[in-house]
Amino acid sequence: MTEVAIRGAEDVQRMGFFTDTTTCIGCKACEVACKQWNDLPADGGELRAGGSYDHTGSLGASTWRHVRFVEVLTQPEVHEPEEVDLLAVASGGMTLDRWVFMSDVCKHCTNAGCLDACPTGALIRTEFETVIVQPDVCNGCGYCIPSCPFGVIDRAPDDGRAAKCTLCYDRLEDGLEPACAKACPTDSIQFGPREELIVRAQERVATLHERGIEGAYLYGDQDTMAGGLGAFFLLTEAPERYGLPAAADSPIQQQVGPATGAAVGAGLAAAGAVAWAFAMKRDTPHSPVLAGIMVAGIVTDAVAGALRRRRRGDA
Amino acid sequence: MKHPKAILRDMTPALGKPGAPGRWRRVHADSPVQLQSDDWSDATWSFLYKDDTSYVTSSAGPSFRGPEAESREEGEARSPSVPDDVTVVQGPMMKPAVWTWEVPLYFWFGGIAAGSSFVGLACDLTGDPGSARVARALAVATALPCPLLLIMDLGRPARFLNMLRIFKPRSPMSMGAWCLVTFSTVGAAAVGADLLGADRAGRGLGALNALVGGYLGSYTGVLLASTAVPVWARSHLFLGPIFVATATATGASACRLALVATGRRPGDTTREALGRVEAGAMTVELLLSQLNGARLKHLAEPLESGASGRWIQAAKWLVRAGVALRVLRRPAGSRAHHLASASYLAAGLCFRYGWVRAGRVSARDDEAVARMARDRAAQGDQASVVEVTQH
Repeated sequence: MTEVAIRGAEDVQRMGFFTDTTTCIGCKACEVACKQWNDLPADGGELRAGGSYDHTGSLGASTWRHVRFVEVLTQPEVHEPEEVDLLAVASGGMTLDRWVFMSDVCKHCTNAGCLDACPTGALIRTEFETVIVQPDVCNGCGYCIPSCPFGVIDRAPDDGRAAKCTLCYDRLEDGLEPACAKACPTDSIQFGPREELIVRAQERVATLHERGIEGAYLYGDQDTMAGGLGAFFLLTEAPERYGLPAAADSPIQQQVGPATGAAVGAGLAAAGAVAWAFAMKRDTPHSPVLAGIMVAGIVTDAVAGALRRRRRGDA
Repeated sequence: MKHPKAILRDMTPALGKPGAPGRWRRVHADSPVQLQSDDWSDATWSFLYKDDTSYVTSSAGPSFRGPEAESREEGEARSPSVPDDVTVVQGPMMKPAVWTWEVPLYFWFGGIAAGSSFVGLACDLTGDPGSARVARALAVATALPCPLLLIMDLGRPARFLNMLRIFKPRSPMSMGAWCLVTFSTVGAAAVGADLLGADRAGRGLGALNALVGGYLGSYTGVLLASTAVPVWARSHLFLGPIFVATATATGASACRLALVATGRRPGDTTREALGRVEAGAMTVELLLSQLNGARLKHLAEPLESGASGRWIQAAKWLVRAGVALRVLRRPAGSRAHHLASASYLAAGLCFRYGWVRAGRVSARDDEAVARMARDRAAQGDQASVVEVTQH
């Protein structure tokens, strides 16, 4: 048997989760185990917005594992008026076709947006190549929150610091598997070295295809998704059904270069323009040309805005 | 004396000493920890698949692969890529920023400080040291509330110094914190030199601060642009220039009002030049915003309607009022021009609030987030149809 138990920083592999949604039964044991081990407060039992039966909201500062309920509704074919299902009518003419569950978690991205954004260095990559927040360093600036393309990390209002899944760093250090994987009764959540999990996941996909579930695919095993997700998924619906983006990368790695270039260029241009406006001193101070240009600009802006509003109204 | 039950229970910690945190290195090399499993067997064994699939049992060997398992390449070839037909979005897709009123107000103050530093440099270059001193003092005065506002917005304000714990060029937030510290320090030194009568030192430090101010006025746009929020991310080439234009306009307006307050007469050349700068920069800002809106198409909705759109619209009307007051200045007198400067300042504040609030609306727009990701997945192909369901 491969020796994968952790002995020291030298020989650890990249650890991750493989979450197989086809075996998830929505028991939320992983959520409970996570909260229990990490000493997280309950969120209250509110149904997720949008008419889902999911009563534990979404991933957040106090929910590091979240079992998402995905209700797939379809329009039933009604042949006779008497056959109308009153329950279907009550829910807008739709009936529940499939009910899918997915245990969502921090993806521990290779190109992690939160990690790139953090100005204090509180977010770090561990020796297991997972991404964690150091709670003794984080000062709650909140920049990691809009920088996560998956909407995972959040700031607890009562605590003031950012928090998310640590892939049970404290357990890994002592050779224990994460609490959620330990608790999962159907092995929907599997923990191990990422490379081995990917092989296993691909075998699982092949098996599912053999059995007729042609729509099964892996989400996040490829390097095109934020450089590869440490926690990847086997899905059977389009990713947006699970609230996952079809593509993602670290926003800073994508945008900060061109944005800074444009901004610094504009800064230089602005300084030059100010100097130029000052150099015009000796010209006539009440230049009708300048006033005309400004009025033309204002009018152009107003007309363009009105046109766009009208076009959107038509569409 | 020991509690009697302590004898019955082995309280020896798996690692380290009792009461101390577990250490990374084992006390004895290679010693197993209590409850440690050598092979993660919990994760590999499954009663569901034991006989049925190629999931491996603990006897299957080190490769985690069954005898007739596919190779990774074969599996990849068989597994389809992400399906790309009509998509139903069941949000929430991402989380909006948690920033409150302090952040846009900081953007405004920081912008005025940066704009004032530009004005100070221009005054020095055109031989008006008196106005340059006023501009430098104003830059420092408006930079002073910035750290306070930023600290107020932190979840743990007492840890504000952690912002200077590292220097991280790829994080605009880190670079901004360092930039603000540099700007305040250099600005204060320049004002100190001015007060001591060291004119050359004051001029040199002021010029240096205009350089730093170039980043202070623009990085806030980069900061917003480098997030996953659709309206900010899609504006990433325009946000910096738009924010610089607002900074220049508000800085010039503030300097103009400050010069008027320090007794500059109408017809003073610097006063006139500042009048040109503030109106011109605001016009450029409007045109850049409009260009950006045309590029954003439907994503520009939070900038045009709703609560955030109302902030932007208010800003635009303030600019229009300012330009009208400037054009009609001759009959209305210079008091109308002061009003125009004040309305540019107010417009700058409204723009900042509008942009920050638009990001919150945009992040909650599940369809926009999903479509942005789809477009990236398609890499410029025909944008796919995305619809949002209540489910």
